[in-house]
Order: sequence, then structure tokens, then C-alpha cells
Amino acid sequence: MIRSDAEALVRKTMARFVDSELAPRAKEIDEAGEFPGEIFRRIGRMGVYGIRYPRDRGGSGGNTTLYCIICEELARGLMSVAAITAMQCLMGTNFLFHFGSPEMIEEYFLPAMRGEKVASFCLTEPEAGSDLGNVNTRAVPDGDGYRIDGMKTWVTNGPVADFFTVLCQTDPAKRLKGVNFFFIPRDTAGVSVSKPFDLLGTRTTKISELAFTDVRIPRRYMLGGEGQGMRNLMSILAEIRCMTAALAVGLQQAALNDSIRYAHERAQFGSTIGRYQMIQGKIADMATDLDASRLLTYRATRMIDEKISCIKEASMAKYFATEAACRAGDKVTRILGAYGYSMEYSAQRYYRDNRFLLYGGGTHEILRQNIARWAGL
Amino acid sequence: MNIIVLIKQVPDTTEVKLDPRTGNLIREGIDSVMNPDDRHALEAGLRLKESGGGKVTVLSMGPPQAIDVISEALGMGADRGVLLTDRAFAGADTWATSHTLGKAVEKIGDYDLILCGRQAIDGDTAQIGPQVAEYLGIPQVTYVFGMEEVKGRSMTVRRRIEAGYERLRVSLPALFTVTAEANSPRDPVIGSLLAACGAKAPIQVWDAADLGMTTAQVGLEGSLTHVIRTFPPKSQRAGEILEGSPAQAVEDLVGRLKERNLI
Repeated sequence: MIRSDAEALVRKTMARFVDSELAPRAKEIDEAGEFPGEIFRRIGRMGVYGIRYPRDRGGSGGNTTLYCIICEELARGLMSVAAITAMQCLMGTNFLFHFGSPEMIEEYFLPAMRGEKVASFCLTEPEAGSDLGNVNTRAVPDGDGYRIDGMKTWVTNGPVADFFTVLCQTDPAKRLKGVNFFFIPRDTAGVSVSKPFDLLGTRTTKISELAFTDVRIPRRYMLGGEGQGMRNLMSILAEIRCMTAALAVGLQQAALNDSIRYAHERAQFGSTIGRYQMIQGKIADMATDLDASRLLTYRATRMIDEKISCIKEASMAKYFATEAACRAGDKVTRILGAYGYSMEYSAQRYYRDNRFLLYGGGTHEILRQNIARWAGL
Repeated sequence: MNIIVLIKQVPDTTEVKLDPRTGNLIREGIDSVMNPDDRHALEAGLRLKESGGGKVTVLSMGPPQAIDVISEALGMGADRGVLLTDRAFAGADTWATSHTLGKAVEKIGDYDLILCGRQAIDGDTAQIGPQVAEYLGIPQVTYVFGMEEVKGRSMTVRRRIEAGYERLRVSLPALFTVTAEANSPRDPVIGSLLAACGAKAPIQVWDAADLGMTTAQVGLEGSLTHVIRTFPPKSQRAGEILEGSPAQAVEDLVGRLKERNLI
């Protein structure tokens, strides 16, 4: 039977979208610094947001590998659009999909799959980042529902989201065992959103603080069973790390492509600079980093698709690919010489955007500590 | 209205390079895509289906990897795909290709309209659409950029001509070749793309025997023309750099333009 290879076809479809629609407008979108609503909705119409969910429940019937291929391709075009997409596909909608009532699925999940509603995910607080046992946003039983009070920060899509999945503490004495996810629509009384943060990179990804003051929600808005928050978070942690690694792979590919193109064009001392060994060395390092990152990333995604535990592999992929993306951002700005310092070229954007990858899905300080432990230390 | 759209997989470049020694296309490093004009033909077919009902079937002839353009078409909303693939089809000229496609259209049957792109970017002949229509004995309109109304068994279309357009009423079934001016093609939908890769996808693969054709009727053997040699034309344009100071060079340039009555 002759059939297309699904991974190759999805990659090709996204590459076509990136090359014809996203990359040519990347500079304009980045400089505008606004949430790219039109592109967000178009990606929704393509069915991208449902890539991880089954087709008979509003998804597109893909898997984690396909999800990461999409993230990688979009990141090659513009990191902030890739980051927004990654959020919509995974953290912003995952617990709503698994634990939302049929009415919540109808009213929020399905429109989110079509790009008609924006999803967000709130973990970090001023005093709780890597240390989630320290979450202070409280969910207190109140009649037939909950009352939420607290503050979240570094909320991706915060200023534009229609609904939030929020990690709250229901029993402070239990620390990590007392945290749970709650679904909170933006238009709920008591929800307030700060001004977007002024960011170094991913400037169209709108990130803000979120305050909950005496927010009343029904009982069904608790996503997952009582005390299951950390367990539920752990169920997608490897996937979050793979996704971040895929974003890093996309950025590396873009930096490598620009470096090679420039090295072919730029002539000095009667020869294109790509003929000089110093430049060749940088290109060789970038290409090797990229290949290694891609191998680590898709090894882990395939393990997830085969339901094999892979937190170590996913952590290594996230750590290595992100550090490699930082190296690629540095090298491309050197290969382009002074043009790498100019806002007219994309190189500076790779240099700024790679920093976005360092923090989400686990800081590298924490990841290295864990990897050392898994290595037997 | 049941519509058949003819689509072709072509190299993803408008600057196809030829191997100067063999005369063959250099395909290494060049991705393959759905022919751009065919994408507009497919979009036109999908819009007609959405407004008036019916089914869209895409038909392509090519090597097994041409399945990708069928899958993409299903991803865009086509209902069914047919791929004609057989080693014996290789080397077909436009006659043999049109003959084979015509046979496949007859086998699919029950159609009101056939749509094709204006021309493919690799061969640039623009012959397949008209030849398929001739083979089937149905009316054809080339360079269609607008489809107006469907009334009973006829349809009104706009056809681009030099310095304007013609409005034509055509009886159905008919074949139109569509230009890029007609529409903006939609993006494929990921879920439909993935379904098109599955075993249950509504895709059929036919070879010469399935069409009731002998090897003498298809491919190189069934072709009326044979390519003796393919070669890139020698560039006739030679640049000239005017020497001297900028002022002298400008004076020289203006003098030459005046000499030729260009300014």
C-alpha cells in the first residue's frame, strides 16, 4: 500500500507555512510586539492546536513527535509564535481536555482547538518557581465551589488569554501533595491581569502577572482529583521538556541557515568567508550541535509516544538543545560580523530569543542536578 | 457537482537546472511540491463543492512519492484521491499523459467538471488540460480565473485574455484550466493530512492494467514525440561595466541611452 509518511508530510506542511507566511514577516511581527492574533487564528484553522489530542474528541490525532516537529518548524520561523502555539497545544489545554466537563469542553476546549480562544497556564509565583511546594495561591472550599486568592507571575499569554489553568494550594501543610490545578475563565470576577512585561526576546509573546482576589469558581473547575496536582504536572513534564528542546532545535536550524547563507555571500580578501577555516569551524560546531539536539529530542518524543518513561532523556534533550541554541545565537552573530549586531538582521533575534528557553520546563541548574543524580551521583 | 481535479507533483523551484551532460533535470536537493497552479484549481473545486455540494476527486500521475500531493489535497478537503503509478508510465509525453489521465477519468466516471492548473512549472507546456478535454470530447475553457454561476447543466466562467477577459457560458461536463488569479488556496488541515496517511484513507492506486491499457499505449512507448536532446539556452545577455569616475560613467551611460533613442 502506498501512503505518505505522516511526519515528513506534517513537517513539509509546516515548513511551507513558515517559509511563505511566517519567516518573511518575522521581523515585522517581532518589532510590533503585539500578540499575533491573525497568525494565531490561522494556525488554529490548520488544526495544529489539536495535534496531541485524538480526532474523535476535537483533536487532530497526532502524537508528541508530531507536536515537536510543529514546534521546531515554527521556531525556525519565529520563536514567539512557536511558544504561543506550544502553550496552546499542551500546558494551556491539557488538563482541561482530561478533566473538564462536557460543557467546559464545548465552551472552551473546542474553541481553543480552532484558535478562537487563547489558553494559558499559571505555575510560577513570586516565591515559587522551581520550588512548587511553596505555592501560595490558595484554593479554599467555599459553599459548593472554591474561593481563589493569590498571585501568579510569568504567565505566558496572560494579557490575552481567555482562560487559565492555575496551580493552587488547597492544603499548605501538605506542600507538594496539597497542590491542585483549577480552571479559571478570564472574565471571572476578581481576576486581574498586569501590564505585559518588557522582555528581552520573544517580544510578541505576552507575559504578565495575574492576581486572584476573592475569585469564586464552581467545584467542577478543579481539574483532576484532590491532591493530584503534582502528579498531573509530572505526567506532562517530559513532554514540556521535549517541546522546549524542539523549540531550541528550530532556533538552531534558523541560525545555521542564516550563517551558511551569509558565509556563501560575504567576500573578504578575494574569497567568500565560508572558505576560511575559522568560519568553517563555527559552522561545523553549529551543525553538530543541531544534529545532536535533534537526536536527543526525538529519541525522547518517541519514548513518550511509546509510553516509555523518559524524564531523564527529556531533561537531557532540553538541557543540551537549549544550551546549543544559546551557542548558535552567539555564533551566528559572530559569523555575520557587525551585521549580527544590527536590528535589521534576524541574527540578533536568535541571540535574544534563545534566552526564553532557559527557564521554562526546568532551569538548567535544576536539570543538571537531576541528571547528575540519574547518572549515579 | 462532482469534480475531478488533475494535480501534478513538481520540483519546488521555478528555476529548474539541467545537467548539461545528460540533459536531465537536476533533482538532488530540490523538494517536490504540488504544482502551484494545480493548488488554485483544487481550491476552486473545493469552493464549488462547499457552495453547491458534490465530491472532489484528485487525480495524479507520477512516481509512488507523488502520493504526497494526493495526501495534501485530501488535507485541504478533497474527498478521494487516485494515483496513477506504473514504471511503464515513465517518459510519457503530453499525449501519452493526457491519454492515460483521460482513461482514468473515464474509470472514475460520474463527473460534471474537470479542473486543472493552467500549466506545470516543470514542463510549462499547458497542453495536458486541453488534450484531456479533447480525448474525452468535452468543452474546454483555458485561463479561467472566475467561476460565476452554475445553472442546470451549464456554468458561467471568466477567462483571462490579453488586455481583458471573456465571460463564457459552458455546457457541462467541461474542463477548465485555472490561473493563479482565481483564488488564494487554503492551508491543509493537520487532522485530515494525518488521516490521509492512514490505511483507511480514500486513496486508490492504479497501474496501466487497471486502466485497461497496454504498455505500448503508455509512457515512452505510447508517446507521439520523443525528446532528442534537452539543453539550457546560452545566455545572450552580456553586461558591461562603464569605467571611470561616477560622473564620467553617468555621462557615458546617458550618451548610450540617447544613441538608442531610449531617453
